[in-house]
Amino acid sequence: MTAPAVAPPSVFSWVPLALALGRRSLLGIWRIPAAMVPLLAMPIFFLVAFSGSFSSLLELPSFPTDNVVSWFAPFAIIQGSAFAGFGIGFATVRDIETGFYDRLLLSPGSRIALLVGPALATAARALVTATAVLMVALVMGARIPGGALGLVMVLLASMGTAVISAGWSLGLVFRMPNQRSGPILQLVIFVCTFLSTGTVPLADQIGWTEPLARLNPLTDVLALARQGFVGEVTWATTWPGLVALVGGLVVLWTWAATGIRKLTP
Amino acid sequence: MSHPIEVEGLVRRFGDIVAVAGVDLVVKRGEIFGFLGPNGAGKTTVVRMLTTLLRPSAGVARVAGHDVVSAAGAVRRSIGVALQDAAIDPLMTGRELVRLQAVLHGIGRSEADRRGDVLLERVGLSAASHRRVGTYSGGMRRRLDLALALVHEPSVLFLDEPTTGLDPTSRMALWEEVRRLNREGTTVFLTTQYLEEADVLAGRIAIIDDGRIVREGDPKVLKAAVGHYRLQVTVAPHQLATARQVLDAFGDPRPSHDTTVAIGLRSGPATVSVALRALEDAGVPVEQVELDAPSLDDVFAEATGRRLEGSAIPDESGRE
Amino acid sequence: MAAAVVGDRDVGLGARAVVEQVRALGLRSIRGTLRQPQVWLPGLLFPMFIAAVNTSAMGKAVEFLPGFDGVDSLLDFLLVASITQSVLFGGLAAGTDTTTDIQTGFFDRLLASPVSRTSILVGRLMGASVTGALQALVFIALYGAFGVRIAAGVPGGLLLVAYAMVLALVIGGFAALLALRTGSAEAVQNMFPLTFIVLFMSSAFFPTESMEGSYRSIASHNPLTWMVDGMRYQVIVGLDWSQAAMSLSWTAGLAVLAIFGANRALRARLRRAT
Repeated sequence: MTAPAVAPPSVFSWVPLALALGRRSLLGIWRIPAAMVPLLAMPIFFLVAFSGSFSSLLELPSFPTDNVVSWFAPFAIIQGSAFAGFGIGFATVRDIETGFYDRLLLSPGSRIALLVGPALATAARALVTATAVLMVALVMGARIPGGALGLVMVLLASMGTAVISAGWSLGLVFRMPNQRSGPILQLVIFVCTFLSTGTVPLADQIGWTEPLARLNPLTDVLALARQGFVGEVTWATTWPGLVALVGGLVVLWTWAATGIRKLTP
Repeated sequence: MSHPIEVEGLVRRFGDIVAVAGVDLVVKRGEIFGFLGPNGAGKTTVVRMLTTLLRPSAGVARVAGHDVVSAAGAVRRSIGVALQDAAIDPLMTGRELVRLQAVLHGIGRSEADRRGDVLLERVGLSAASHRRVGTYSGGMRRRLDLALALVHEPSVLFLDEPTTGLDPTSRMALWEEVRRLNREGTTVFLTTQYLEEADVLAGRIAIIDDGRIVREGDPKVLKAAVGHYRLQVTVAPHQLATARQVLDAFGDPRPSHDTTVAIGLRSGPATVSVALRALEDAGVPVEQVELDAPSLDDVFAEATGRRLEGSAIPDESGRE
Repeated sequence: MAAAVVGDRDVGLGARAVVEQVRALGLRSIRGTLRQPQVWLPGLLFPMFIAAVNTSAMGKAVEFLPGFDGVDSLLDFLLVASITQSVLFGGLAAGTDTTTDIQTGFFDRLLASPVSRTSILVGRLMGASVTGALQALVFIALYGAFGVRIAAGVPGGLLLVAYAMVLALVIGGFAALLALRTGSAEAVQNMFPLTFIVLFMSSAFFPTESMEGSYRSIASHNPLTWMVDGMRYQVIVGLDWSQAAMSLSWTAGLAVLAIFGANRALRARLRRAT
């Protein structure tokens, strides 16, 4: 046992590791299904509460639909997906604090796996959240005039948002590897999701939120997700959303990738 | 041919705090090297730098012939690390963890399963391998941690306080396993705050205090160098003061419990009878006598002016 | 140790000593809260953020939708909601602090001292109540700076403060109950989503008149709706004692219930300890 027994890894050797880490992240869902409850309960509650409390908002002039559940369901899905990304970040804090993450950092392979693994798991979690919210929304009377394409768009936006949010969360957690990062992560996600067109279209916002919502890339992502719920899917609504997703992925996963280098040489 | 671990001028600062203040070390092939020191002395910081988990502020460290910063990946391939507190995911089973660990080191699935079987058998966890780690005892977790550290057959093994919190039986079992690994050719770098552990296992030790190495060498040689046997007598409480006075002539006081007086015998074990007679002459009946060979704690005390063990016992000499 | 010390009855302590103990424990509780900005700051900022966003994003609602008669800005409408939300959030600290006391052993130290058993609970709740008053004052002042005028004037403001103080007893009592029963901070924290649900399914953020169907009927039968509406009347319309009485009597009734439950939980824990 004197010589290193394992050959240096090849270029794609990170793939099995990424899959293994993704699998581990999802293990919690199988082993402790209760851990999934907050992840599902929050967006479903928001869907019910917003549709109930703010149903009359749809009487405002610029709302493109008269179905309140159709209006709020994509928002609940996007918000739930954003918090799924936060969940991955927070699970990583726990791994760092217990020392489990050291085990991963001691892996001789590329760091790519340590980033791609959680990203895959986040996307999968978001899919679970989106599906659950969708089912509740359909039971509550949501309509999807955009059809299958509309569904594809909302799932795409959901997974994209979750992975972007995971990039933000991991980037912060790598720089601030303790529980104190939790409230900051949540606050930023919360502010970003609310300073958007989540509740009210731009044309009906009257104050300081309007310019911020207009600038917020999440507004484009919401439009992407929502288009199939309020009408037909169009390229004009789709491409800004896709640009926002890709931009978010590039920026925040660069933030995550530079963050992990701060943990170890 | 380079040594498995070579360290020159290693420094680590955290803000204004200097945790490691210039450490030089060489660990030779095939030895068990004991790294001793009190909590907060810098042990874990050194280990984290040697295992590529922490970037040194200054200095050079080569492990298994590779630089820990510029060739971190190569170092990681060559070392096995069992970390303090045996951090393992309680939701996973023992076997799943072994498999994940194998994937972490780029080992294929069938090979991973084969090695996992052998290792789990070796540390006595075959029967428990399908249970979640959350149900394991402390000793089982440490043994699993050790098995995980060995999955990729490393040439250098780092054990960071491997027996902290274990019961004596589990501790002995782990020691035996470490010895066996060492016999098979693995170089072991062991940090511990238990002097006995270092004494029993290590062929060579270094003592770190306040971020610096204060002693390094063969424990036997180090002990012989400080060389005072410890004599401890138990007397009636009202005669403690007299006993202390009498024994003062034979050596410096050592920390001891309420009804005992302890000294470091200046002229070796041969003077025990003389000392006991002196007590008798002074009219102090001795209820019990103990004589201990010099320990690593004496080495530590000589090097730092403080004691590592029994620090809860007030030093009656007032000479900390 | 004598039974008089660990037993569950207050023995041999004069009224003045009890008052002094309540004061000391209440001050400790307030100080503990103030020294942990991470505990109270979100409780202030979160309601402010929601109010600020809603006022801007949903501001048009007051012109177009039913249930906003006499409301100039959505912020007027949300003053009571913000106070309620903040107190509901902050009152949970009375529970989590109690679980901390249990876990660190401070609670046992209290029990091992001849301190009156009642003052342990009352001290904690008084602390929560005073904190509630401070929260109400912060919101009245801050929203005042943004143009919110309480139609009922100074008496209306005092009513809001009184409402916040009693509401803090409600949530603090329930949180302490849970803390004493379970000893788990997590169990107390789990009350947070529950308070949020109760808050949302009331008239706090939007008038029940603008809601529909079963959601509307749930919200109209939610006691929090009556508590909030009675107070909001003072802000929007003007001083009205019957509205104030409706709100305060519901709040006080729930407070009595909560304190009764918390007291029973305390006695149960004391019995287990002896």
